[in-house]
Amino acid sequence: MSSDLDNPSGPGAGTLLLRPISARRGGMYVAGVLAATGLLFAWQASLIDFGDFALPGPGFFPLVLGVLVFVLSVVIGVEDWLGMGSQETIELGHRDVLIVFAALLAVPLLFEPLGAYVTLGLFGAVLLVLIARVSLVVAGLSAIIAMAVCWYFFQVALGLQLPIGPF
Amino acid sequence: MTGFDQLLGGFAVALSWKGLLYCFIGCFWGTIVGVLPGLGPLAGMTLLLPLTFGLDPAIGIIMLTGIFYGAMYGGSTTSILVRIPGEAASVVTCIDGYEMARQGRAGPALMISAVGSFIGGTVSIVGLMLIAPPLAKVMIAIGPSVEVVLMLLALSVISVVSAGSRVKTVLMVALGLLLGSIGLDNLTGVARFTFGYTSMAGGLSFTSLAIGLFGISEILINLEKTDTIKAITPKLKDLVPRRKDLRDSAPAIGRASIIGFIFGIIPGVSHVVSTFVSYAVEKRFSAHPEEFGHGAIAGVAGPETANNAVTGTAMIPLLALGIPSIPATAILLSALTIHGVQPGPLLLTDHPEVFWSLVASMYIGNVILLILNLPLVGLFVNLLRIPYAWLVPIILIISVIGVYSVNFSAADIWFMVISGGAGYFLRKFGYEMAPLLLAFVLGDRLEASFRLALTMSGGSYATFADHASIIVLTSTLGLLLVVQALAWAFGYRKSVADEVEGA
Repeated sequence: MSSDLDNPSGPGAGTLLLRPISARRGGMYVAGVLAATGLLFAWQASLIDFGDFALPGPGFFPLVLGVLVFVLSVVIGVEDWLGMGSQETIELGHRDVLIVFAALLAVPLLFEPLGAYVTLGLFGAVLLVLIARVSLVVAGLSAIIAMAVCWYFFQVALGLQLPIGPF
Repeated sequence: MTGFDQLLGGFAVALSWKGLLYCFIGCFWGTIVGVLPGLGPLAGMTLLLPLTFGLDPAIGIIMLTGIFYGAMYGGSTTSILVRIPGEAASVVTCIDGYEMARQGRAGPALMISAVGSFIGGTVSIVGLMLIAPPLAKVMIAIGPSVEVVLMLLALSVISVVSAGSRVKTVLMVALGLLLGSIGLDNLTGVARFTFGYTSMAGGLSFTSLAIGLFGISEILINLEKTDTIKAITPKLKDLVPRRKDLRDSAPAIGRASIIGFIFGIIPGVSHVVSTFVSYAVEKRFSAHPEEFGHGAIAGVAGPETANNAVTGTAMIPLLALGIPSIPATAILLSALTIHGVQPGPLLLTDHPEVFWSLVASMYIGNVILLILNLPLVGLFVNLLRIPYAWLVPIILIISVIGVYSVNFSAADIWFMVISGGAGYFLRKFGYEMAPLLLAFVLGDRLEASFRLALTMSGGSYATFADHASIIVLTSTLGLLLVVQALAWAFGYRKSVADEVEGA
C-alpha cells in the first residue's frame, strides 16, 4: 500500500528567486570571509599578552589559530581560483529561506522589548502565512494556540520565566 | 561496591517511574526526530536540552541519550518506507530497504532493522560497561600533556575520516578552536574577543552554536528541497520475517555489531561511516553480492545494526576521557557540564550513579524502542504527512526558547541566528559542521591543558612525547590506522555512496 505525502512547499514553490552562482566564485567569496575572520582574530589576539613559546600567554593560542584560519582560507581560495574550468553552480536565494532568515533576524530584536510570547506568536504567524500559505485567520489562531501551549509548557510546567514585555 | 552492585543501583534509577518516563520521552522524541527528514539526533537533543535543567543529572542524561539512539532507530523507518533517510546514518539502508519495501517486504525489513538495532545497541552497551571503568582508572593517572595529545589525536582523526575536503575540515577545526577561545581566559582571567560586552565573558553559548549550525542551517537547506514523498505503509501482520530472512541477516547482524563497536571510538562521523563499511563488508562476504541493491536483507541488517552499535561505544571517549567523539556526545558533555557533572576519568568515582544509570537506561531504552517502533510504525510514517512548512515555525520557536533559557540572554538568540546563517552558507559550499562543533567543545580544555603541561614541565615541549604519551598516542593511532585501512579496503564510503546515488 502506498500513498503520496506532500512535501513542505510543493514542487517549484519558492524557486522563483533562486539564482545559480558559480561554485568557484562563491567558494572564493566564502574563503575570503573566512580569511578576513582569521585576520581579525589574529589582530585582536596580537593585542593580548602572547607570553613566549615556552610559557604561552592568553594571546598565544588565538594568534596561532587566527593565522592558521587565514592561511587555510587562502589555500582554499587559491584552490577554488585554480579550478577555473569548473562549471558547477550553487543555487542561492530561495524565497522561503530568505523569509525564514529575515523573520529569524527580527526575533532577537523584539524578544525582550515585546515579550517572548508576542514575538514568537508574530514570528509563527508570519511564517505560516508566507511559507505555509495559510490564511491570516488560520495563522493567527494557530499562533495563539501555539503560544498558549508554550506558555503552559514552559512557564507553568517547567517554571521557565520568559520575558513578557510591556504586558 | 562492585561494578555489579553499581549496575544494580543504576537499574534502580533507570527503572524508577521518573527514569522510565524520561527514557520513554527520549526514545519517543528520538524516533520522531529520526523519522522527520531535517531533524537528526543532534537537533533533537539540543531542542530538549533546556528540559533537562530542572531534572536530576542522571535522569536528564537518560532522556538525552534516549533521543540519540531513538533517532538511530527512527531513521531506518523512512529509509525503508519512503527512501528518505531520516538522518545521515540511515542513508545506506535506503538502497536495499526501499527495494524490499517495493517488493512488498517492508515488514521484514523493518523487523530485521529493529532487531539488528536492538542487538547492536546491546552489544555496544556491554562494551561501554566493560571498557569505560578500567579506561577511566588508567586515565586518572595521566597528566595534562597526555590529555593534549589525546585531544589533538581526536581532532586529527576527525580531519582524516571526514567526507569532504580535508583542508576545509582542518579549517573548521581551527575555527572551532578559535571560537572556543572567546571569553575569559581560564588560567589568567584575561578577556579575549569580548569587545567590552559582559555577556561574552563566559564565552559563546554551545547550545546556540549547536542549534544554529545543525538545526537552523538544516531547516534552511531543507526548505529548498521540493521532492514529493511516496510512502509504503506495511500492515502489522506482515512484519514477521521468513526463516531465510533470519538466516541471511544473523551473520550480518553479528559482523555489524563488531564494526559499529569499533567505529564508535573514532571521532567525527563514526555512526555514518560504520554503516557504509558494514554495507561494503556484507556485500563482500555475501554468496550473492548481485542481490545487493535489489532488496538483500543483509544490506538492511548490517548498516542498521552498525549505526546502533556505535551509540554505546561513542560514550566511552566521553565518559572515560571527557572527550566527545561525535557531535551528539558533545551535547551530552554540555548537558553534564550544565548540571555540574564533569565527564572524564573522575566521573566514575565522583558521580558513579550518572554513569551506571545511563548504562542501565540504555538497556531499557533498547527494549522500549523495540516495542515502540514496530507497532507504531504507521504513526511514525504518518508524521511525514505534516507539511514541512508547518513544522518549521514549531521547530524554530522551540529552538529560540531553548537557546534563551540557557542564559536568559537575547544575545544567545542573536548568536544562534548568525550561526544558522553562517552554517547554511558554509554547508552549501562543502564545509562540514561537526568538526567545528567538536573543536569548539574541546578548545578550552585543549588550551588549558597545553599551557598547564608547559608550565609543569618548565616550558619543555618534550613533555608531549614522554613515555605515557607515546604509548597512548601510538597505540590509539595504530588502531585507528588499521580501522581506516579496513574501511578503505572494503570500499569505504565512496563506492557505496555512488550506489546510493544510483539506486
